[in-house]
Amino acid sequence: MELQWGTIFAAAGAAMAAVMAGVGSALGVGLAGQASAGVVSEDPDRFGSCLLLQLLPGTQGIYGLLIAFVIASKAGLLTGAAALSATAGLNLFLAAIPIAFGGLLSAIAQGKVAVAGINLVAKKPEEQGKAMLMTVMVETYAVLALLISFLLVNGVKVG
Amino acid sequence: MIVSMKRMTLVAHKADETAILNALQGTGAVEVISGGQDSSAQAALERAQSRVHQFGDALKTIRPYAPKKSFFAAPAEAKAEELFLMLPDAVSLSEQLSVLNRELAATKSEIDKNETLIDALRPWEAFPADMQTYQVSKKVKYFTGIIATADVEKLENIESTAEYQLFNEGLMRTCVIACPLDDAKSVSNFLKSLDWTDYVFPKMPGTPAEAMEELFEKNRTLNAKKVELESALCDSATGREGMMESAFDAAVIERDRALASADLVRSSATFQLEGWVPSDKEELVKNAIHQITDAYYLDVREPEEDEVPPSFVENKPFVTPFEQVTNLYSRPDPNGIDATPYMAPFYILLFGLMLSDTGYGLVLSVLTALFIKFKKPGGMSGGFARVLFWGGVSTMVWGALVGTIFGMDFDTLLGTNNLFPLFVDPMENPIGMLILCFGLGVLHILFGVALKMKVAFSRGDWQSAIFDSFSWILIVVGLIVFAVPSAVQGVPAVISTVGLGMAGLGAVMILLFKGRASKNPIMRTLSGLGELYQVTGYLSDILSYARLFALGIATGVIASVFNQLCMMLMGSPNIVLRILGIIVASALLVALHGFNVAINTLGAFVHCARLQYVEFYGKFYEPGGRAFKPLSYQTRHYRVTDK
Repeated sequence: MELQWGTIFAAAGAAMAAVMAGVGSALGVGLAGQASAGVVSEDPDRFGSCLLLQLLPGTQGIYGLLIAFVIASKAGLLTGAAALSATAGLNLFLAAIPIAFGGLLSAIAQGKVAVAGINLVAKKPEEQGKAMLMTVMVETYAVLALLISFLLVNGVKVG
Repeated sequence: MIVSMKRMTLVAHKADETAILNALQGTGAVEVISGGQDSSAQAALERAQSRVHQFGDALKTIRPYAPKKSFFAAPAEAKAEELFLMLPDAVSLSEQLSVLNRELAATKSEIDKNETLIDALRPWEAFPADMQTYQVSKKVKYFTGIIATADVEKLENIESTAEYQLFNEGLMRTCVIACPLDDAKSVSNFLKSLDWTDYVFPKMPGTPAEAMEELFEKNRTLNAKKVELESALCDSATGREGMMESAFDAAVIERDRALASADLVRSSATFQLEGWVPSDKEELVKNAIHQITDAYYLDVREPEEDEVPPSFVENKPFVTPFEQVTNLYSRPDPNGIDATPYMAPFYILLFGLMLSDTGYGLVLSVLTALFIKFKKPGGMSGGFARVLFWGGVSTMVWGALVGTIFGMDFDTLLGTNNLFPLFVDPMENPIGMLILCFGLGVLHILFGVALKMKVAFSRGDWQSAIFDSFSWILIVVGLIVFAVPSAVQGVPAVISTVGLGMAGLGAVMILLFKGRASKNPIMRTLSGLGELYQVTGYLSDILSYARLFALGIATGVIASVFNQLCMMLMGSPNIVLRILGIIVASALLVALHGFNVAINTLGAFVHCARLQYVEFYGKFYEPGGRAFKPLSYQTRHYRVTDK
């Protein structure tokens, strides 16, 4: 059987978006989770604030999932639709690059800021808003990567 | 709006001090400034502080025995003097609880200590002699210790005069070696070559087995005592939560008053209070004092140059909750402007666009409305709940404009033919959506610049208003107008020239006048060139609004992904599987959409705040005010009603 290069590229792109952004978020949330557990062990009342900060590096994984899903549905991977041209498939693969790498690295960086923010909340609970803002500053670049990935996927002509 | 603050000085009789501080605390309108160190009030302050700690500890003890409060339960209400009724009872209860707690802790540590001893003795259980007297012989030296099993064989090589015995099995074995006193040295040296640790029996009479039995017996008694203490604790703690909470609040009120009292300056017969009062509360404060005594001197004046007043804002009820958003960034400088009224409409608008799903907006609004209605939250959480409520309303509107409800198309749900989206479909027309976001961004940013102009004008600095602010409005608007004819068909090209002219005029104004403080024309131009480089700042500010679109699709697309997943579950041709699928999918839909609402609300909240702080406030806001902290009722459990 002949290989369907278009479909293969598209599937690779979808997988890359989900995996890399997901790995980034897992690392980021993991780092922040360790710091949260440390703070909560000292002061259980801080759990709510820590949880919010821990959640923030988790969004990249969702963005990766989003792009993966959009690529998969565009390429007909979910329904098993008609074959995709190699060009379109490669385009979909390339479209996944921004969120894959942007997501991976920004989630890790954001996780580190979240750890610092959690330490800040431990010492000064009233400064939670500032800790969250610092953390969100990093996410800007994941959001921008998501946007470009989405626009690129949207622009690919299928069939 | 920023309320101007006045500096007040009050002198009155010492005899009236408590009554006056009491009344001022009720008004919640005076911030007391430290007038110096008065040691006479320190003792009272320390007493008040230790009482707050005492009641706080008692509450921690009581809490596990109290019924769990419902999340939506409103805090109880009480008058200030009602809170104080419980004080004597609370003092005796908290002392009783602290005694019980101390005894309980001592008992527990005794039990732990005994258990450690038992664990240490267990390997010696087979040792047959009395632990204290087995080595009384003057001619024999005993070595008592623990040896690694691997080295047990090597014991065969010990001095022939020495005897040894092992008492247990396992990796580490307990062992006693006996030898004539003369050989003690060589045996000791021999043991150093082995994995041997000396062991000293605890100071207890009898054999290890007897000692263990005794310890077990002791722990049985102690455990009974522990159970008894715990039930005594439970008896005294159950049902006393409300009483202790009211006493805690009373103690806090008293502590705050003691703090204020420590800041007063006293003569032999009078005291002097220095403080800040908002200009619109001056009468309130005067009346409060007047009701207590006529014998006082009160001076209220404008602050002097070197006195920095606290920053206090008052807004219309609709805007007030948004002060919390500003406070997260920084309070306004008392001499600047309060940005909250200008920020609030944009906050609502941009928040809605980021979530942009009618269903999610509905969920958010209903939940926050319920929370506000039943919990009646005040302060920070109350503010944020109201901010989210309005955000939810805006989200509903934006959802209709872009045509999504719970991730579904409005048309599919209502059966209408292409009625929705009312405005623009971000999936079909992403560029249109981007332009909408950038357009809102330009509006937001230019509004910020216009506010800076307004501030400059109100300070009489028209040069700064025109050359530093208006010039930028000309440049940004001019550049956009310049681009219109090439982007939109049918617009005459002459518009382009007009735009270029505007931008050019703005640029020339900056080049010529930015460095107007300097007389040197070269320096002025250089300073203007530097300022013109800011155009990249404006560009990146505007591009930053792309996040509106990205967060919007993040919500919408993820919601539709969840819907599709659940549709797959429900789509089985087998009837049993289909029914199962529907059940699972319904539960899953609620959970997944709940998760999506939560995480995207968090995202929309913080990203929207960022747009306000960085892009909007960056243009005009003067942060750095110090919060106004009046002497008031800062109760945690009861809402004080007699204001």
